[in-house]
Amino acid sequence: MDDLLPKLLSFPPHPPPPNGISDLQYDEGIKTQISTIKNIPDSKLLQQTSGGENVLDIINPALNTVPYAAVLIAHIKAMHTGNKSIDLDTIWEKILGFLGNFDPRQIRYLGSELSHIIDSTVSISRRHNQAATAIPTIRDALLRLDPTGTVLTSKHIVLMKMALESRIYVELVPFLEKSILYIPGTSSQPKPKYLCDMSLPPTAFITPGNNGFSAKIKHQDVLEYLLLNGMVCIGIRNWKKALEYLEMAVTYPAKDNSVSKIMVAAYQKWVLVGLLLTGKPLSLPKITSSGAAKLYHILAKPYESVAQIFEGGSASRLKSEAEAGKNIWHNDCNSGLIFFVLAAYQKFQIRNLAKVYSKISIPEVHNLTMSAETGAKLPNVQACETLVRSMIAEGSLHASLTSFPDQPPVLAFSVHGPVLTEKQMQMELATSTIRIKALTQEIKNTDHMLTHEKEYIKYAQKQKKNTKSMQDQGIAVTDMEWNGVEDEDLMGVF
Amino acid sequence: MAATQSAPSSPTQARGKKPGVVLDPPKFDLESYIQNYQGRTRLERLIHIGFFSGFLGVDALKLAAREAKLGRDTKKYLEAQTLLEQLGPEEREAIRDLSWIDSMDKKNQAETHRLEAELKGYKNNLIKESIRMGNEDLGNHYQAIGDLPKAFEAFSRMRQDVTLGKHVMEISRHLIEVAVEQRNWIAVISNIQKIRSVPLTADEEKAIQPFLWTAEGLAHLDAGEYTLAAIAFLQTEAGMGSSCGSIISSNDVATYGGLCALATMDRNDLQTRVLENSNFRAYLELEPQIRRAIAFFVNSRYTSCLEILEAYRTDYILDIYLQRHIDDIYYLVRSKCIVQYFIPFSFVTLDSMNEAFASPGKTIDKELALMIQRGILNARINTVDRLLEAVPSSPRASLQKEALDMAENYEREARRRILHMNLSMADLEVRGPKRSGMSQAADDFFGNGAVEMRF
Repeated sequence: MDDLLPKLLSFPPHPPPPNGISDLQYDEGIKTQISTIKNIPDSKLLQQTSGGENVLDIINPALNTVPYAAVLIAHIKAMHTGNKSIDLDTIWEKILGFLGNFDPRQIRYLGSELSHIIDSTVSISRRHNQAATAIPTIRDALLRLDPTGTVLTSKHIVLMKMALESRIYVELVPFLEKSILYIPGTSSQPKPKYLCDMSLPPTAFITPGNNGFSAKIKHQDVLEYLLLNGMVCIGIRNWKKALEYLEMAVTYPAKDNSVSKIMVAAYQKWVLVGLLLTGKPLSLPKITSSGAAKLYHILAKPYESVAQIFEGGSASRLKSEAEAGKNIWHNDCNSGLIFFVLAAYQKFQIRNLAKVYSKISIPEVHNLTMSAETGAKLPNVQACETLVRSMIAEGSLHASLTSFPDQPPVLAFSVHGPVLTEKQMQMELATSTIRIKALTQEIKNTDHMLTHEKEYIKYAQKQKKNTKSMQDQGIAVTDMEWNGVEDEDLMGVF
Repeated sequence: MAATQSAPSSPTQARGKKPGVVLDPPKFDLESYIQNYQGRTRLERLIHIGFFSGFLGVDALKLAAREAKLGRDTKKYLEAQTLLEQLGPEEREAIRDLSWIDSMDKKNQAETHRLEAELKGYKNNLIKESIRMGNEDLGNHYQAIGDLPKAFEAFSRMRQDVTLGKHVMEISRHLIEVAVEQRNWIAVISNIQKIRSVPLTADEEKAIQPFLWTAEGLAHLDAGEYTLAAIAFLQTEAGMGSSCGSIISSNDVATYGGLCALATMDRNDLQTRVLENSNFRAYLELEPQIRRAIAFFVNSRYTSCLEILEAYRTDYILDIYLQRHIDDIYYLVRSKCIVQYFIPFSFVTLDSMNEAFASPGKTIDKELALMIQRGILNARINTVDRLLEAVPSSPRASLQKEALDMAENYEREARRRILHMNLSMADLEVRGPKRSGMSQAADDFFGNGAVEMRF
């Protein structure tokens, strides 16, 4: 083993050369190293050093990601084949260490290896109930590979499924903040010159064909991912994010008047989450395919009627509607959401009082609002006061409660809701600016990709030919710059 | 407008209550009131008053029965007489004059036959003018005996033989009269348009102008379009006299126009378009209480304005066109008054609001709450200190909120669109099976083949 070590550690040069190395040198160096290592048989990689140490303890995964990955995989394979000398706990620890520390530049060359390691992590954690440690590790690994978090891979979906199986949602919050924009293998992208070029957009180095990190993605996968995301957000009661993800699934492009069952499921949840967030039925975003929209209204009728009653009907009607549809909710796995909707009804009523009253006593609130859970008023004034207090505490009601001796407590609504201080406001604006700037970059990327799309190129060629032939015939073309117009149109979409 | 239409007119009034019989004496004199009208509308109005007024009912029905016997419409006579039989059986007119009905029916029938035979003769002779006049006679006859659909048909047939622009006007005028009685407002509007498109001399124009505007006003009033109705009535030129007596009187123009304007126009418009409108002033002088109500409103004396209107409620319920709308119109005026009353204050005690607007012993808390909910009144109620408070505006906060919301929406929309483009590029749209619609439906039905809804 000792003789192998220098080979394994040949790249990157240590200590790094003073002027750094160019992308070309890096690319060549890492490719040679990978092919060298591939030629070493697994049995050799499993050997210990002369000092009796495990190779995995010697190599630093953050510096020498390539050899570490190779040795790690050799170990995992050996373990699966029943090699007794390999201890599961050590390997588990090493896997976690690797996923948390690999070098994001080298890993680009190791798509299939990383994929293999993540898959093993998932299977080990499933078998040994280790989701609580596995989920944050895989999450970080995916974010290390693609810090923008905009490219969907099959690993994303696996991760979401794991989270839902184990009901661990909070760990995924940093993940939920990022939003999927690209699908790997979107089109015949020009191959990047050097994978190690750090200025490459993530779409360039995460491709199914190139390094095999992600499996081929189908429309069901994308939809499933969006729906799972929505469900995770529902799990952590982040209605706003949930609505956003579900909306992405609902507005998924569909042709020929068809709709996917996942889209319908998303629509049902979207209606209910919309109620929880805004208290009234929402109208579908304009971008929804018209065929799908028609089918939604037919297939999710019970949900829409709940929404209508929630907005305009009485508590008892809402309750009986919820009971009448019990089987429907149960079959669609939406019973939980329906309970939330029922519980939210009175809260919305209390919040709506702020639109009419500035100050009102608690007994009046008690008289004016009804609970949809029981279909009647709350049992007593104290229960009402508790509810109001809890709403103020959780920040969903912008009001203050004052009590006087010998008098019922008084609820005073603040008229404008929470008012941001100047500083907070400036911060909000600044972060919003940053996000929009980042988005502008994504728009440029997409635009760039569109112009490299095969069909577009064909079209552009045809246009060019047409202009040329027109010029030959002596027709003025100055006012017919189709390409220019087309470009503007592409941008005009945003 | 539509929202206030369908909702109960005022929370203090019973929901969906039918306007019942009013017992209070109205302020008008029956004889002089009915003098303003001509033709069949007299009968209609008398029967209406007979039905709804506990005070004038019997008198009105007596007049109606006498009036009906002067005409030829036996059905109307029966209607008036039956009502009278119930309300005032001891009256002389309450006894059914069967012989008159019999002979009149026979006469009518003979007349119908005669006119139809005549018309047939004209048709055989192919003389356009005669056919037209034959149809007109027939129409007039049907109208007189109360067969309105046939009358409408006959008058419509006149259109085939039109030779002059003046004829078009006559036909449409006939049709409008019949349609108004039928409450067929679509026909009324379309015939008004037809007359308007005919080139007329200045004199003719002047003669027909009030008729057109008042008919249009009625149509809008009936549809609940009070703004349009007000505009139509306000354009009616002065000096209508009794030329439109078959559908409306000058007094009505003032009442309908004034009330609709009061319900929908703001203070400035009321001043410039109603009170300072020289055409309309002539009408307003006939109904001074309307002018006073509007003037009170313009001068911010809302309580007096509402008092006047309330005093005349009985009169308006006894009007065939206003009855259905009077509650809506009053509600609109009332809520406008409340809004206007509140504008200059930052807060008002609920007690003083009650004093100004609520009838004794009642409160307007609920009405205020409803108005705020509907967005008519921009205020908040403080039930603890019993105050109505204005909403302090904070343009800076709302602008900031708006800016953040807009940025957020933009982000979300942009992300969605980027994803869409990339999905289309990757060819990942959801697609239906590629088959013709028919066979696919059948397949779905029998459960073989791919169902359109795919997982």
